[in-house]
Amino acid sequence: MIAPRHGLMLIAPLALVLAGFFLVPVLMMLPTSFAEYVPGAGLAKGVWTLENYTRIVTDDYYREVIWRTLGLGLFVTLACLVMGYPLAYLIARGPERWRVPLILLVIFPMMLNLVVRSFGWIALLANRGLVNNLLIDLGLISAPLKLMFNLTGLMIGLTHIYLPFMVLMLVAAIRNVPRDVESAAATLGSSRLHVFTSVTLPLSAPGILAGSILVFVLTISALVTPRMLGGPTYKVMATLIYDEFMQLLDWPSGSALSFALTFMAIGVIWLSSRLTKRWAGMA
Amino acid sequence: MRHTLRFATATAILSAGLSMTAHAEELVVGAFGGSFAENVKACHIAAFEKATGATVALKLGNSSQFAASIRATAGKPDMDIVYIDNSLAAQTHGEKLNETIDRKKLTNAGDVIASAWGKDDSYVVAMVSATALVYNPKLVKAPPTSWLDLADPAYAGKYAIGDISGTSGLHFLLALNKIKGGTLDNVDPGIEAMKPIAKGSAVLYTQADQLLSLFERQEIALAPWYPDRAGVAIDKGLSLAVAYPKEGAVGILPAVIIPKGTAKSELAHKFLDQILSADGQACFSERAYIGAVNTKVKLSDKLQKIVPNGETLEKAWFIDPEVIAKNTANWTRRWQREVAR
Repeated sequence: MIAPRHGLMLIAPLALVLAGFFLVPVLMMLPTSFAEYVPGAGLAKGVWTLENYTRIVTDDYYREVIWRTLGLGLFVTLACLVMGYPLAYLIARGPERWRVPLILLVIFPMMLNLVVRSFGWIALLANRGLVNNLLIDLGLISAPLKLMFNLTGLMIGLTHIYLPFMVLMLVAAIRNVPRDVESAAATLGSSRLHVFTSVTLPLSAPGILAGSILVFVLTISALVTPRMLGGPTYKVMATLIYDEFMQLLDWPSGSALSFALTFMAIGVIWLSSRLTKRWAGMA
Repeated sequence: MRHTLRFATATAILSAGLSMTAHAEELVVGAFGGSFAENVKACHIAAFEKATGATVALKLGNSSQFAASIRATAGKPDMDIVYIDNSLAAQTHGEKLNETIDRKKLTNAGDVIASAWGKDDSYVVAMVSATALVYNPKLVKAPPTSWLDLADPAYAGKYAIGDISGTSGLHFLLALNKIKGGTLDNVDPGIEAMKPIAKGSAVLYTQADQLLSLFERQEIALAPWYPDRAGVAIDKGLSLAVAYPKEGAVGILPAVIIPKGTAKSELAHKFLDQILSADGQACFSERAYIGAVNTKVKLSDKLQKIVPNGETLEKAWFIDPEVIAKNTANWTRRWQREVAR
């Protein structure tokens, strides 16, 4: 057991870096989020307002973007889970000699720059992209399918990018499930499916939750892929915040939206850690 | 003795290092990327470095990124001189972030057209371009004549307009608004007229050069775009032509500002002098298909077909940059909610 005093020393380097390069800049943004922006003249001096926050709740465009962001996070997480679990199971429980090649296959896409990968999806999904051209040449469709600048495009792009995170978390979790517990269930007459649903799946729950939280938070804060595949018509919170800051120069509104996004992420993490505790208690 | 020697050597090395940095002064210039930066190097930087012995470091970005950066570093800018759209130059002037340009320090100031100087000499327009119509003559037999041609069913699905985040999107909205009876205080008619046009657009482009591949693959035949980009694309072999709508093109005026607080104001003025010089302007015009502000520059025949000049220049609508700076945020929010949704 590590003594608390030593524990503090162990986390000190990271805590200092986080405080200096994350916490302090974030707190410096807090006053900005209560400031008033006057187009053409900049931030009004000595004026404090709650409007930047109230607008997020009252403006139905902002509400739509927030729901869209949360929905996207949920769908991408589910897609990663559904596709990632079988793969993770194969890696963890499949033939030994498949393990390294499969893990390498999972990690390989992460070695490519995010922009390059998103650009690859543009080449595939555009109106005259590879996918549409192929479908038209095969005579399956007459007009190109809309695969970009909508939920479909973002789902495909983000699921592809965050799937490795989910798989790696799940592999660790499934490998941690003791095999003799599974064997015990089997000798007591459980079918393979029943062993999986009543033993393996519940015991890998912490991994499922950790992976889901990771993918969800990464998805709702993703900027590059939504900018490239969502375009100007399909905005999520991250792209909206970028536009407020860099294009409209309305820093107060951008700061308020950033805090809203941060609180949403913290809320989700808090909620799921409570869920984990309950679930773990039941299992 | 040995100590003194060491001390002397250290001092010598140190002072040598110091004097070296003092000799090669570095000017940080903010410029747009792509071919623009190449042209800045060829037409402005090369001659400036030769004349002054200073070196230039380029920082690339777009106008609003530069404005954001100048605001963030208020008074201690990380750029000494910046190419920026005139509406954002008006914005940074509104935030009191521009140094007043001293015309007395510029040998070429007298050759520059009077209207190029921004309010209180807080910026100076360095070149003239426009948002006009660009089409593919292979696909379009009769050249387009009006902004309203984009709503013509003949072009259905064969055109692309810019998102409001880019200059052409904003300009097209305002031009349409004016035709439909709106004013700069009331863009309702423009927004209404824009809705169906935006819906039918192949894409809402956010990067000017996105159109290159769309034109190349003949996905589109017509777009509100920039004559300068079209000129460069024509040189590269694309089948394109520029049409100036009868209602008038909308003027684009890339300007130059010196951010307040720069320690290299003198050098920045020298760089600005090179930008405004007849040589610098002519070179940039020829390479970038862009109009000049120096009256001594004469456009070649090739350029006159593309660059706004003569009648097309007289008809062009130059919108007050301060009005744009004050309203962009509102117009953009309305666009996001009513047009692009």
